[in-house]
Amino acid sequence: MDRRTFLEILVGSTAGAGAGFMLTPVNWKLMDDVTIWTQEVWPDFFAGIPERGEVTHANSVCNLCPGGCGITVRKVADRATKIEGRRGYPVNDGGICILGAAGLQLLYGPWRVPSPLRRVGKPGSGKFEKISWEEAISEVVRKLSVLRRKGKAHTVASILGSDRGTVPNLFARFLKAYGSPNFICTTSAEDTSELALKLMQGGKASAGYDLERANFILSFGSGLIEGWGSPVRVIKAHSLWRSGNLRKRATVVQIEPRLSNTAAKADNWYPVNPGTEAALALGLAHVIIRESLYNIYFIRNHTSGFEDWTDSAGNTHMGFKRLVLTEYTPDAVSRTTGIAAKKIVKLARAFARARRPLAVWGRGKGSVSGSLYECMAVHALNALVGNINKPGGVSVRPEIATHTWPRVYQDATALAGFSRSRIDGANTNRYPLTKYLPDRWPQIISRKEAGTIQALFVHDADPYYTTLDTSAVAKAFEQIPFVVSFSSYLDETAFHSDLILPNHHYLERWEDLPTPIGLQKPMLSLLRPVVSPQFDTRHVGDVLMTIARSLGGAVANAFPWRNYKALLKETMGDKWSTMKKTGYVEEADYQPPIWKDAFATRSRRFEFYTTALKRAGMKRNKDLDYLPHYEPITPEGDSETYPLTLIPYELIRLADGAIGNPPFCTKAVEMTELKGNDIFVEINPKTAGDYGLAKGRYAMLETPKGKAKVLVHLSEGIMPGLIGMPKGLGHAGYDGYLAGKGVNVNSLMGVVEDPISGLCATWGIQAKLTSV
Amino acid sequence: MRFFAKFSELDSALIPKGVKRCSFQCFLVWIGILHIPLMVGVVATLMCWGLALNVTYLNNNFPFGLWIAADLGVIALGAGAFFTGFLRYIVKIDELKNIVNFAVVVGVICYAAAQGILGVDIGQPLRGWFIFWHANVHSMLTEVAFCITCYFMVLCIEYFPLILENRRIYKFGFPHGVAHHLHETMPTIAAIGVFLSFFHQGSLGGVPGVLYGRPFAFREGFLVWPWTFFLFILSAIACGPCFTILITWITEKFARKRLVKRNVIDILAKISGRMLALYLILKTIDTLYWVKVAGDVGSPFRSFYANQPYGYWVLVMELGILGVIPAIILLSTKARQNENLLILACLLNCAGIFMNRWIMTVQTLAVPVMSFDKFISYHPNWVEYASTLLWLWLGAIFISLTYRYLPIFPQEKELNPY
Amino acid sequence: MKEVHHKGHGNEHHKGHGRTYKYGMVIDLDKCTGCGACMVACMAENNLPFRKDNTNDRLTQNFWMRVYKISNGRPFPDSEICYIPRPCQHCEGYDHHHHTPCVSVCPATATDYSHETGIVSQIYTRCFGCRYCMAACPYHVRVFNWWDPKWPKGMNKYLNPDVSVRMRGVVEKCSFCYHRLQRARNKAYVEGRREVHEDEYQTACTQACPAGAVTFGDLINPKHKVYKLKDSPYAFRLLEKLGTNPKVYYVSTKDWVRKAGKVFLGNEGRG
Repeated sequence: MDRRTFLEILVGSTAGAGAGFMLTPVNWKLMDDVTIWTQEVWPDFFAGIPERGEVTHANSVCNLCPGGCGITVRKVADRATKIEGRRGYPVNDGGICILGAAGLQLLYGPWRVPSPLRRVGKPGSGKFEKISWEEAISEVVRKLSVLRRKGKAHTVASILGSDRGTVPNLFARFLKAYGSPNFICTTSAEDTSELALKLMQGGKASAGYDLERANFILSFGSGLIEGWGSPVRVIKAHSLWRSGNLRKRATVVQIEPRLSNTAAKADNWYPVNPGTEAALALGLAHVIIRESLYNIYFIRNHTSGFEDWTDSAGNTHMGFKRLVLTEYTPDAVSRTTGIAAKKIVKLARAFARARRPLAVWGRGKGSVSGSLYECMAVHALNALVGNINKPGGVSVRPEIATHTWPRVYQDATALAGFSRSRIDGANTNRYPLTKYLPDRWPQIISRKEAGTIQALFVHDADPYYTTLDTSAVAKAFEQIPFVVSFSSYLDETAFHSDLILPNHHYLERWEDLPTPIGLQKPMLSLLRPVVSPQFDTRHVGDVLMTIARSLGGAVANAFPWRNYKALLKETMGDKWSTMKKTGYVEEADYQPPIWKDAFATRSRRFEFYTTALKRAGMKRNKDLDYLPHYEPITPEGDSETYPLTLIPYELIRLADGAIGNPPFCTKAVEMTELKGNDIFVEINPKTAGDYGLAKGRYAMLETPKGKAKVLVHLSEGIMPGLIGMPKGLGHAGYDGYLAGKGVNVNSLMGVVEDPISGLCATWGIQAKLTSV
Repeated sequence: MRFFAKFSELDSALIPKGVKRCSFQCFLVWIGILHIPLMVGVVATLMCWGLALNVTYLNNNFPFGLWIAADLGVIALGAGAFFTGFLRYIVKIDELKNIVNFAVVVGVICYAAAQGILGVDIGQPLRGWFIFWHANVHSMLTEVAFCITCYFMVLCIEYFPLILENRRIYKFGFPHGVAHHLHETMPTIAAIGVFLSFFHQGSLGGVPGVLYGRPFAFREGFLVWPWTFFLFILSAIACGPCFTILITWITEKFARKRLVKRNVIDILAKISGRMLALYLILKTIDTLYWVKVAGDVGSPFRSFYANQPYGYWVLVMELGILGVIPAIILLSTKARQNENLLILACLLNCAGIFMNRWIMTVQTLAVPVMSFDKFISYHPNWVEYASTLLWLWLGAIFISLTYRYLPIFPQEKELNPY
Repeated sequence: MKEVHHKGHGNEHHKGHGRTYKYGMVIDLDKCTGCGACMVACMAENNLPFRKDNTNDRLTQNFWMRVYKISNGRPFPDSEICYIPRPCQHCEGYDHHHHTPCVSVCPATATDYSHETGIVSQIYTRCFGCRYCMAACPYHVRVFNWWDPKWPKGMNKYLNPDVSVRMRGVVEKCSFCYHRLQRARNKAYVEGRREVHEDEYQTACTQACPAGAVTFGDLINPKHKVYKLKDSPYAFRLLEKLGTNPKVYYVSTKDWVRKAGKVFLGNEGRG
């Protein structure tokens, strides 16, 4: 056989074998195997489909925002598989917001801090090593003992996200026993609103809004459906306004320069020049007073400072009425606000004639504290129509009293340190009425010599990200030798800490939550573990108590409780069993006091002319200073160099506070806000024409505080001359699902302080936008 | 070197008697050159299979792109095989026997390409056979899949005797007998091919035509077949022969000699021109009727052409420049006997069919349907181009091999005496 | 195209002896705030994948429920916005298109219209990814898995075992949370009931919607809320004129919204 024949036989037999094989069942079996492989093995390889198990449900509360919604978590074995709104819960009755629904991504995400971490690289390098809890705690104790021994107890500070509930109170108690006055909390519009209530109505209470029963809602830039107040509850109220017969529906009027979702859903949208909302409120007051549309009974019997008045020394003072009638004519207000005088008159009449009108305040989600006078001006509108403590109106709402803790015994070191003045300047002669000024301290310590703060504890807050003028914050952090974060996530602040002592995630821990923001009825709810801790984390309350105990002496004695849970149980007292069973206690029959008893001011009346402010010793002597009036909060930057104004805006699909946006929520962010890693700014096509900017193109956005490369989005929903930019992007912490996406608008903004409260009243900043 | 010499010897032994072919070295270089772009295509194909289809510019708005348009296009171009077979064996235009073999070769390439491209296009190629296993008889695509597969087998059967006619193989008694037998049954096979082709060419037209959610593509029709069903058959018949002419011409250019007599080409061109003219008339009627119907249900005709690159020029291009002009050339005896004009007409005609298939798939998806849809444009990326063009290179290799070793041009000897 | 009779759902009689349902939805666009909770609730319920670079991009990202933002296109300050949540429309088709646009085209019978429930199903393990159904759907409801779905380490823990994770290369879409119907039916069966109550079977988006804008139920059952809601004078369906006969109704008191939703105008509308 020669080679050729051999080859031919080989080829022939191979072909024959192939054909034969096709007729055997083997290939059918192979096809079947391949199919199963593509259907089951392959997807499982990527997704890692977990095992099944018994389905159970666990109730808890969401604390991703101050909204306090009830949640029901569906579990399969010990895995939480879905967060749903809790049915029948007083706040949200089954509904849930976008962030709450994505909560499990925060729980199981790679951005969790897995165990105590100690920084090993340079500050801010993000290089950490895992250490044991014992090691971590002893390091904190060592640092704190040395500071205390050296008489520097007052150089320890804490920044928290809230001052309500047992955990914040533990921090306050710790600092008090240790010897530092620097218990600082981040602030929001709620702080200004409380202050306005305190000045005009007296007493310490939060505002509750009866949104459900109001039938004319006048919103001064509040993002009612953007996450203002308790988001699900407000959205539910919005649905009530949109229910039933068309003619009987409530009217919603939105005053703001940009067509936000709230403005889009409102019956009327008044694009006002930004920052002039107070003028508009007073212009409305002008029409209401001039046309005698106000509640004469309430004004006459339960208010003071409406008419001109004479004090005990015989000096005549200007009343609200004279101020408003002389200064805020529709024409004048029209010039300031850009709203036509006719429209102002029409709106004022509609508001005052409505059955249950309600004016609400707090820009966007209410994350910026805002202008005190503006808040007072809006609140004055509520007073004019007499809807204070009335159905469909605004009322004061106290907190449910809990068991008080034993007094702290302060030793000499503690007393000495505690009596020093606060680093942030709150509660001083300059700002006697303000509790915390978290936006001031970065500037202060970056200006002063090193050593002002030796140790900083951060819990439930991400000041490194949320504070305006981020570069000043960064400088301040460089000055602090020891920063401890209690964050569950690797957020910006944690990233720049020296030590991270991770708290349990909100679905893994016990904690009490105060009344959700804006609710009329006092409530106390219980956060409870839904799943067992996923990582080597510990409850911040327990960690703090361990630290205190290790410090010994008076500090240790201030914490007599066995552990945090024991403390919680004791503090809740007789409410504990109900809370454990139902998850919350509520004063369902709470009624705000009637007008006769409603006001704790010196005059026992609602004060248009706030005597409390006068008594606070602010060294102001004009009548105007004590009346709600329009005092412009001027944005930073000269309009020559920076002809445009940058206003940040908030989206419900984008978490912009201490919590980073989970991937699901980012997936819902519009393509006109974020594209890949590029952020969009929103401008009117007219602005684009004026400055030669094109749709979808890159541009350089510059403010006195910094610059950033952005993409241009053209929208007919924003006033010409303004640049809108979404808040909540530009994170550096977390991981690739959030870090590096867009620009943090806070880094382009500066703090403009309110003249009375000292709180951050920034609503915008001058800017320029040039195409690149 | 000895090895090479052996192969060279084998090569010359396989070349048909009485014809001249280039040297073995030259042939190897030519095949080698073709492998360069081929490898790019192979890489692109492997990327699609390995990394999933995100490597393309296809997206949820354009689930169909270049691949599907190309699929529809090559099947139409491949219609030359069945139509020439139809004319040769059933209408019995005897001259066409001189080109029918080559038409089959072109057809094999086209249909292999169609299936190959589909194998990359589908998201789960390993389950591609579900189209037969779990067939949905209501789907135009099922009809297409069955007919294409069957017809591809028919084409293979038609091609098979050509292999058997190879000098080396023909020597043996058995293949000789088989080849002879197959030649006897060719009319039957051609009839089956015609039947299958009619259906799948039509069904391909049905693919866009039945999409009643897409007013741009949707057409009413006869029984279950939308008008596009018939238009696609006609347009395929109109361009298939032109494509055969075109490829023959290219092969002649490479071979640097005439392979088919002009009168044979002329018959095909003439028939093609008549078919094209008929198609254009019907297509115009269809377009006018469609303008009226679409307008009646609230989708004004102008809205279909409101966004570039799909402006009115598309209509002018498809029906005018790529339709009427080649039709005129092909219908005019004088014009089509000018080789340059004839080739131009074939080119325009083939481009026209491709444009039509692109419009019926890609523009259909580009035209917004909901009033708040944004217009989105699509263009393929290199992966799509490379994996599609892969079949061009494979086709070139296939034709080169076939031409070198098999006697597919019966007139070659006569036209090129030694 | 023949004249379409807009009879919708409601006059049909129950055919045959088996009880038939027509599950559908009524979405009140006056109430919808565009918050996106429905989208995320759907992603969480149905194990939808996510990616590092994703935003609300329907071209590359998978959404079963997607909220569209539409504008009236007027200049400042007369511009208005409306949000339109868009689940699968679960088209029934009318008599002359006696089929759902996407179901009839699937070559592998991987999708089906259930005449018992009115739900358009999708079998991921049978789909081989030809995407013909996507071309057939004018609502862009169907999406393709362009990538292998990957979850970061540990995040697979929240996967819902009731819904299979889809592999790359297949088409997926909203199922009206069909697994919830199965669960509800099992429960009813165990309890000896033949009927599933209205509140026992609700989709994830309906349940999550903080505005209560989404109502879900049996369109032909007079006891269900959707039965009445769909007859609102302000109700409309997307692309009604095409004759797809969808089972998702929208309600808006704004004329421009109804107009934008009902008809197709090529790109004359605005986005």
